[in-house]
Amino acid sequence: MKNLGLLGVAAALMLGTTQFAYADAIKLESGKESKMILLPKFLGILVFDQANEGAQEAHAELANPGKLEFLGPTPENSVAGQIEIMTTAATQKQGAVLLSNNAGDQIAPAAKAAMDAGTKVVTWDSPIPSGEGESVFVAQVDFGSIGIVMADMAHSILGGAGEMAVLSATPDAANQNAWIEAMKQALATDAKYKDIKLVDVVYGDDQAEVSYNRALALVDKYPDLKLIMSPTTVGIQAAAKAMQDEGLCEKTKVSGLGLPSEMVSYTMNGCAPEFALWDFRDLGYLTYYTAYGLASGQLTGEIGETFTAGRMGDYTIEADPGRANAKRILMGPFTVYTKDNVEAAAK
Amino acid sequence: MKKGILTFSPQVLRILALVVVTALIVLFFASQIENYLNGRLFNRISSSVAVMALIATGQTLIILTRNIDLSVGSIVGFTAFATGSVIANNPDLSPVLLVGYAAILGGTFGVVNGLLVAYARIPSIIVTLATMALFRSALVEYSNAKSVTSQNLPAWLVDFPNQVVFSLGEFQFRAGFMAAILVVLTAHIALTRLRPARQFYAVGSNPEAATMAGIDSRRVILIAFILSGVMAGLAGFMFVARFGNITVVAGLGFELKSIAAAVVGGVSINGGSGTVIGALLGTVLVDLIDNSLVRWPVVSEFWREAVLGAMILIAVAADTIFIRRLAKMRAARAHEAAIAAEGAKT
Repeated sequence: MKNLGLLGVAAALMLGTTQFAYADAIKLESGKESKMILLPKFLGILVFDQANEGAQEAHAELANPGKLEFLGPTPENSVAGQIEIMTTAATQKQGAVLLSNNAGDQIAPAAKAAMDAGTKVVTWDSPIPSGEGESVFVAQVDFGSIGIVMADMAHSILGGAGEMAVLSATPDAANQNAWIEAMKQALATDAKYKDIKLVDVVYGDDQAEVSYNRALALVDKYPDLKLIMSPTTVGIQAAAKAMQDEGLCEKTKVSGLGLPSEMVSYTMNGCAPEFALWDFRDLGYLTYYTAYGLASGQLTGEIGETFTAGRMGDYTIEADPGRANAKRILMGPFTVYTKDNVEAAAK
Repeated sequence: MKKGILTFSPQVLRILALVVVTALIVLFFASQIENYLNGRLFNRISSSVAVMALIATGQTLIILTRNIDLSVGSIVGFTAFATGSVIANNPDLSPVLLVGYAAILGGTFGVVNGLLVAYARIPSIIVTLATMALFRSALVEYSNAKSVTSQNLPAWLVDFPNQVVFSLGEFQFRAGFMAAILVVLTAHIALTRLRPARQFYAVGSNPEAATMAGIDSRRVILIAFILSGVMAGLAGFMFVARFGNITVVAGLGFELKSIAAAVVGGVSINGGSGTVIGALLGTVLVDLIDNSLVRWPVVSEFWREAVLGAMILIAVAADTIFIRRLAKMRAARAHEAAIAAEGAKT
């Protein structure tokens, strides 16, 4: 009790100093002109479109007379296409590029050139791993906590014990790799998960067909497999369909990160009892506020800077715990979907 | 022994060789992977082959005429998405109309390719490289960043590929697989028995001679592209039925897999020789290896594509060497026969 009291005092003190230091969240002035490009990994994926809706909402709210373009490469040309769009953005004197990076560090030189030309590069969803050529990363959730949430979902589905495997996107997807690492770490460090065994990590390339076949190969390879964890919306849906088609849902469950509208039937029939996701509209919205603040010079992008992002409230730029010398803004939290809330969310 | 080999045609020999290689590979993996040889393996491969077998059949027709079709993956993706959208918006549409829609849509893409190759005389590798990107971009535009999900599809469509037509013990013969086999067999019978279909071979093996013989080779090439489009369209229908969830990446990389299947199946890249049955076996072999490699811990994720590449090389190299030898043996035998005939005269 005494300890608790002490903790309380400490917390109050910390809160006090925090408020003292960041007493005024910067209110962004609307109406400043700045052209921007929202650059997703590639076009045609629902979550990126949702991010665009969020960004357009913020764009209208801030009454930016410049244009916000939703511009992305075609799927087969993702890496080269992203680099090309980034390179052209600099010569077009764009105010900011809002990037969900699919090109790893290969895009860093182009992004750096853009920054040197005065274009701000704000990443979202998937950062530039080295942090080179990036103003700030708007993280959907803390990458470490995604690992814990996935480990917790596995724990609850497996009842604390059993074999699981991961079905990821592409082998070089920076965000998925970071989440899998975080999950591995959670599994290894917390005694709660000691009876959960991660047997394999395979890659479905974010294609329905490859993911479907990989999921089936996993159950063939590991006869005692109880769970497939897929941290990608394409993979989780394909895995759930594969288990359902082959009548394996009783034996092997599916979980991970998925869209309620795509997962609702699998959650209701028990193939995928639990999965999680954050709101991509909010992510687009927050990213736009950040980019607008930087591009219009109202934010400097320094660590510790706090600003108000419209309807979402106040956010602070901080050091990214996952990447040395990189900065992030943490959005969070995300929702875990089960039988109880998935139907409402799917509408 | 030599004489025994010579009595078979090269086509039959190729197919026999493929069957032997497939059996050897199955035996090899059976010794490496636990619980490998069972009905489940058959069910996996047969269901998975259903989509690619159709595309490989279309690709074979193209390769027979000395051309290549790199746009099949994009056609599959587009038709899969369009078919899914149409049935999602009109759930009461009859299955026959839906299949027809997929085939006609695919065929329309084939017309574009065929006209450019046959009448504008642009090399097929250039035309289809361009249309691969064009059709894919058309899909991105058409899809409007939405995806088709299995929730929006009627139950008959989603259930169709996995319906068991009949089973022999653990081996299930499912509707998707049977439908694909039916199409391949029809194509095979047409190619071997029907005079007009033989023109694909004529144009591919010797275009000048074919023209001399009064064959309109441009028309034949146009038809090959249309049929390849139709096959890709049917594969698109199968794709949406099997996977349910269609995004703009649907069918990505299928051009490479279908070419691999055809070439491994003994279809000569120089045109004029090969069978759709061979391409089907090639599809099975490629799929079998892909499926088994995932379960084989020795090869890592990153090397699987390399194995597919190596297979194409080995298949083409082996085929070239084998055909050259066969030609030599034939020549030698003809020579011996001539000498013998000479001897008999004197």
